[in-house]
Amino acid sequence: MNKATKKIVLVGCFGVGKSSLIRRFVKNIFSHDYKVTIGVNIIKKEITVDNTIYNFIIWDVEGNENIQDLRTSYLTGTSGFLYVVDATRKNTFVNMNNDIDYLQMMYPNAKIIKVANKADLISVDQAESIFREKGLKLDFYTSAKTGENVNDIFYALGEKMM
Amino acid sequence: MESNAQKLDQLKNLLLVEDRDTIAQLETKINNLEQIIQKQDALSKYVNPIIDEKIEVFTTSIPEKLGPTITETLQRQIVESQESIIEALYPIIGKLIKKYISQEIKILSDKINDQVHRTFSLSNFKRRWTAFFTGVSQNDLALTELTKPLIAQLFVIEKGSGILIANSSHENNVDTDLVAGMLTAIKSFVEDAFVKEEQSLELIQYELFNIHIQNFNKYYIAAVISGNFNTQFKNKLENNLLDFAEVNFKNSKSKPSKMVMDLEKIINNE
Repeated sequence: MNKATKKIVLVGCFGVGKSSLIRRFVKNIFSHDYKVTIGVNIIKKEITVDNTIYNFIIWDVEGNENIQDLRTSYLTGTSGFLYVVDATRKNTFVNMNNDIDYLQMMYPNAKIIKVANKADLISVDQAESIFREKGLKLDFYTSAKTGENVNDIFYALGEKMM
Repeated sequence: MESNAQKLDQLKNLLLVEDRDTIAQLETKINNLEQIIQKQDALSKYVNPIIDEKIEVFTTSIPEKLGPTITETLQRQIVESQESIIEALYPIIGKLIKKYISQEIKILSDKINDQVHRTFSLSNFKRRWTAFFTGVSQNDLALTELTKPLIAQLFVIEKGSGILIANSSHENNVDTDLVAGMLTAIKSFVEDAFVKEEQSLELIQYELFNIHIQNFNKYYIAAVISGNFNTQFKNKLENNLLDFAEVNFKNSKSKPSKMVMDLEKIINNE
């Protein structure tokens, strides 16, 4: 078995559910209480993808409408980004394509997965139609509340990093 | 000739004489009761014994009947409001700790005095000699010896990512990966927010510990120090860490296992 420690950063607007996705993935819990993340919270979890044990150091950075306003020092050295939007709030994905371009330009070696969270509040068909209309393509539809696809996004990131 | 009404009255008088007496007695009783109720003193004479008895029963039965419920409610309240309870207790505990520490320092001071006056060891002679030439009291010198700085932990951390490359410590009671990440986040925040140009965060003070940070090109080393972190110790530590970097960061990075061995040497030699 190979072992690798990787820095994973979740980015996206306020209230899209970044912290909830992490809590669901690491502790398998969900809470309706919304506590805004100030600065950064760091948590870790080990996963095994094929022949590799990944020690994911997950950085949950505070939400920001403009990704360029985030402290670059929080993003430096990142191996994988989870770009999270709220499938029910348009203002959380209007800048998505620009933000992804920015991340790819600044961190060319990092893998990126685009996630539409809160899929329990909207049908996937409806959400897909909205995203298609805006010229956006999401990789996963998740629900931190029900746990739908939450583990898959982290495993998919692990596979991309192999 | 008597009218029908008169006859009826006579008949009533004959038939209802007992009822009238009863009604009269009832009226008297009601009047007496009214007087008792309206006069507090008179009422209390009858009611107080009953209330006293009930209170006595209530007092003895409360712990039995309500005790478990109250205990359960309090336990739940404590669990649900831990932060509020801590907030309320913090000043009280703080004062107690302060008092305890003052007491312990007094005991320590007494011990030092005792040691200074009684011992005729080589170290004591050296201390007396130093005190004579430097003007620093023997007690202060003895105290300095007791609060000698010690390296508790050493971390080699990759700059930017905050990923832990190697670490060594006397106790393994912390999640070193998370400590490395959080140190990097704090360092990054401070450097972004407060520091201009190429300056770096070099020291974090945390309760009884000092975290000395020595920066290199791709990595930084964080040393957690307990005790009195003085300039002399700092210089020695910096030299040791520079030597470590020269061996392990030059050209290509050494293997983490090699780094851990070198870090252990630094910790054990201090």
